[in-house]
Amino acid sequence: MINIEIDGKQIQTENGSTVIEAAHSAGITIPHFCYHKKLSIAANCRMCLVQVEKAPKPLPACATPVAEGMKVYTHSEQAVKAQKGVMEFLLINHPLDCPICDQGGECTLQDMSIGYGGGHSRYHEEKRMVLSKDIGPLVSAEEMSRCINCTRCVRFGQEIGGQMELGQAFRGEHAEIMSFVSGAVESELSGNMIDLCPVGALTSKPFRYKARSWELSRRRSVSAHDSLGSSLAVQTKNNRVLRVLPIENDDINECWLSDKDRFAYEGLNTADRLTKPMIKQDGKWLEVEWQVALEYAANGLRQISNGAGAEQVGALATANSTLEELYLLQKLVRGIGSQNVDFRLRQSDFSTDGKQQGAPWLGMSIADVSRTDRFLIVGSFLRKDHPLLAARLRQAVKKGAQVNVIHSVDDDLLMKVANKAIVAPDSMVEILTQVSKALTAEKQGQSASGEAGAIAKSLASGQRVAVFLGNFAQQHPQAAQLQALAQQIAALSNGKFGFLGEAANSVGGYLAQATPGAKGLNADSMLASPRKAYMLLNVEPELDCANPQQAVAAVRSADTVIVLSAYKHQAMDYADVLLPIAPFTETSGTFVSTEGRVQSFKGAVKPLGEARPAWKVLRVLGNLLKVEGFDQDTSEAVRDEALHGVDVATKLNNAIGGVEVKAAPSANGLQRVSDVPIYATDAVVRRSAPLQATADAAMPQAWLHGEELKKLGVQAGATVKISQGQGSASLVAAADDKLPRGVVRVAAGHAATAALGAMFGTITVERA
Amino acid sequence: MKNLINFFKSFLLLEFLKGFSVTGHYFFARHITVEYPEEKTPQSFRFRGLHAQRRYPNGEERCIGCKLCEAVCPALAIKIEVAEREDGTRRTTQYDIDLVKCIFCGFCEESCPVDAIVETRIYEYHGEKRGDLYYTKPMLLAIGDKYEEQIAKDRAADAKYR
Repeated sequence: MINIEIDGKQIQTENGSTVIEAAHSAGITIPHFCYHKKLSIAANCRMCLVQVEKAPKPLPACATPVAEGMKVYTHSEQAVKAQKGVMEFLLINHPLDCPICDQGGECTLQDMSIGYGGGHSRYHEEKRMVLSKDIGPLVSAEEMSRCINCTRCVRFGQEIGGQMELGQAFRGEHAEIMSFVSGAVESELSGNMIDLCPVGALTSKPFRYKARSWELSRRRSVSAHDSLGSSLAVQTKNNRVLRVLPIENDDINECWLSDKDRFAYEGLNTADRLTKPMIKQDGKWLEVEWQVALEYAANGLRQISNGAGAEQVGALATANSTLEELYLLQKLVRGIGSQNVDFRLRQSDFSTDGKQQGAPWLGMSIADVSRTDRFLIVGSFLRKDHPLLAARLRQAVKKGAQVNVIHSVDDDLLMKVANKAIVAPDSMVEILTQVSKALTAEKQGQSASGEAGAIAKSLASGQRVAVFLGNFAQQHPQAAQLQALAQQIAALSNGKFGFLGEAANSVGGYLAQATPGAKGLNADSMLASPRKAYMLLNVEPELDCANPQQAVAAVRSADTVIVLSAYKHQAMDYADVLLPIAPFTETSGTFVSTEGRVQSFKGAVKPLGEARPAWKVLRVLGNLLKVEGFDQDTSEAVRDEALHGVDVATKLNNAIGGVEVKAAPSANGLQRVSDVPIYATDAVVRRSAPLQATADAAMPQAWLHGEELKKLGVQAGATVKISQGQGSASLVAAADDKLPRGVVRVAAGHAATAALGAMFGTITVERA
Repeated sequence: MKNLINFFKSFLLLEFLKGFSVTGHYFFARHITVEYPEEKTPQSFRFRGLHAQRRYPNGEERCIGCKLCEAVCPALAIKIEVAEREDGTRRTTQYDIDLVKCIFCGFCEESCPVDAIVETRIYEYHGEKRGDLYYTKPMLLAIGDKYEEQIAKDRAADAKYR
C-alpha cells in the first residue's frame, strides 16, 4: 500500500494501480472514454489528463502508475484546460447528430461535453466522414463517423471475446474501426461492444430507432437461458420489452452479457405467440375462455387417471421453466397419483437416479472459477453453451491456468488449450479411465504417456483443480460413468468436480423435485413406453427432447395432450388443449443457477393477451382436480414451499456412488455427435429473429472427417441423406478434419434434424 | 381643524371635481381599448400560439422524431411514436399535442433541433366537443403548410437573438 494525494484527499492505494483506479476507489471522477476497468489500458483518448505535481505536462490518469507521495490534481486549472482541449479535438470530427443518434441520452461523450465542451465550435472546415459498415445482424455500425477511436471494441474482442474481429486500420485522421477476416462480428459476446462504445458508433441493430433511452423503465431480472443466471435489466416501454442490458454483478456475469441473453427478447412478441386458451374439438381449434379450457384439461386428466390409471399420466417440462412452475407441475402430477414427471429432456442416461446424493451443480461458485488454475472440461461446447463462463476461463488462462479438454469435437475455444483428447463418444469413458489411471501413476511418481498422461500431468501440477462436465457429457448415454470418473479424477487431483448446468433452472428442477423418484418414469422411459396423457410445460418435443422421433411418436399416440406454452407450435397437430402461459419477462419466478444461487425475479411487463403465469395456471388446475395444497397466493409462497426453508447449499451435492465403470461395446458404423446450437436451446431464443440471422444459427450441416467423406464418396458441399431409426434428413455435408474418425456431427434441437432419432448412437450417412 | 377642512372640502365639491378630472382626462386622451374582433392587438414575432409542424421547401417533413419536445414538455401534452421509414430515417408515426394540456411555454419549440415544431401567431381556434383540441400530426402539418410564409418570416426575425 502506498499513500497518494488526489485533490487534497489522502488516499491509500495498492502499489501498481493507476491514478484513475485510485481516484475511482476514492469516489473522485476523472472523465475518460477509452479506459475500462475490465480492459487493457490504451490511453488513446487522452480525456483523463490530470495534473501531477512536479510533472511538467498533464499525464493520462489511466496510464500513470501511482507512486509514493504523489500529488494529483484532477480539477486544477491545468488539468481542466487540458481536458477541455481534448474534448474540443474529439468534437472536431464528431457529428452533431445527437437528436437522431440512438445513444443520445446515454452517451458518455454527450455527458462529458456538457462539462468540458465549448458552447460553440471553432472548427468550420469539413468534418471527417467514415462510411457505414455491415457487421452482422446484432451490432449496427451504421454511423461510424461518430467513432472517437477509443478502441474499446477492439480490445474487447481481443481480450474478452478471444478473437479480434474488429480492428483499427489506417492512421491519424483516416483511422477507422473495421471488421476484417470474416467481414462480420460473429462472436457470441458481440453485444457487449454496444455497451462499451462510449458514443453512438456501435449500437444495437434490433433496438435501432425503437425508443429513446429516457423513455424506458428498467426492471431487474435473471437470464432465462444459460445456467449462469446473469443479472439483467429488462427495459420496457408501453408494456413491451424493448431492450435487455446487463447489470454489473462481479460474482456472475461481471459487466458482460452473452448475445443470447441480450437479444432473446426479440422472440417474446412474435406472431406465433399463443394469446388465448384453445381446445381442439372435432379436429378444429377453438379459442375459448380460460374456465372452459382449464375444465377441459382437468377432465382429460381425470378421465385418464380414473380409467387407465394415474401412471398413464406423464408430465414433461424444460429446464427453462421456473422453480415455481416445476414444483407445482410435479405436485399436481403426484397429487393425481402419478410419479411420472421429469425436466431432464435431453438426458439419455438416468442410472444416477437414486445414486446421486444431491442436486448436481457446478461444485464451486462461479467467482471461484477465476481462481482455479487447472481445468478439465469433459464434453462441453463451452463457448456456445456457456459463453460467459468461457470468457472467465479465458481470463484464467491468461493468468496461467491450464485448460484440458476431453470431447468429441474440437471447436476453437479461443483460448490456449493445454491438452486435449478428441475421441468418439463411445471412447469418452475409456479416455477418462486412462486419465484417472495416469493420475494414480502420477501420484506414485510415474508419468504416463499419451494425451491422457499429459492431461493427468497438467492436473497433478495444479493447486486448485476443477473437473467440469458439460452438456455433452450430461446428455451422453454413459453420463453416470462419466460422472463417477470425473469424481475420481477430482479426488485424485484434490480438486472439485461439477456440472455446467444445461439451462437456467437445471439445478432448480432437482430442488423442485421435478424428477420421477423411485417409482416413476423418467423423461426417456415416459416417451419410450407411451403414456395415455401428457402434460407439456414449455416443451416442444421435436426440438427439446433427446430423441425427437420417439417423443413425437409418443405424444401423437396419446389420448390427451395438455400443452402449456407461450407459443403456438407443432403441438397444434397433436395437442388437445393449449394453455397460453407467460415467458420469463411476464411472470414472477425463481431460477436456481448452476452455482446454486437462488434468484427470484418479478415480471417486467404484463402477460400478452390472455396468457397467464404458468404457476397460476397450474395452481388452478390443482384446484379443479381437487388436489390438496394448491392454495398459494403468490409465487413467493410457492418458492418457499418448494425450498422448504432449507438452505439450498445443503442440497447441492455431486457425489455419486455405486456406478460400475465398464467400457461400452464399440459401435458399428458412424456415431452421431450432437450439439444443440447456441440459438436453438429454448423456445424464446428459437424465435428471436436477429439471433436466427447470425452465423451461429446457420442451417445445420453434417460434419465429417475429410477421410470419412472420401470413404462415403461424398464431396463437401454435396447434400447427403442422414437416417436414424425411421426418419431421415437431408443436410449439406461438410468436412472438419478435427473431428475424430467414425463420427458425424449433426446438430439437435433444430427443425431440420427433428425427424432424426437420439442425440447419440449410430447413424447412417449416404449420398442423396 | 380637521373637521373644518373636511366641511369646506365637501361644501365646495372638491372630491367630485377631482373625480371628474380623471374621467375628463381619459375622455380626451388617446383610446387604448381594442375593438376585438374588428381590431386586434399588435403581436411579437415570438408570439406563442397554436402549434404547427413545418416542412422543408422540398416537401419533406422536418421532424426527425428525436422526442426532445416530448421529454421537455412540462405539461406532458405531447405524445410521439416513431418508426424507421423505408429510407432508413427515423420518422414519427404519431405526433399529437393535447392543446387542453398545453401551457404554451414554448419549450417544445426551443428544444427542437430542426425547427420542426413551432408555435404560430394563431390564437383564434376553438373546439366544439371533447377531443377537438387534440391535434394530430396531419392537423399540425396542415397548419404549418398554410402559414409557412409567416412562420419562416418570424423565425428569421428572431434568428439574430438566438
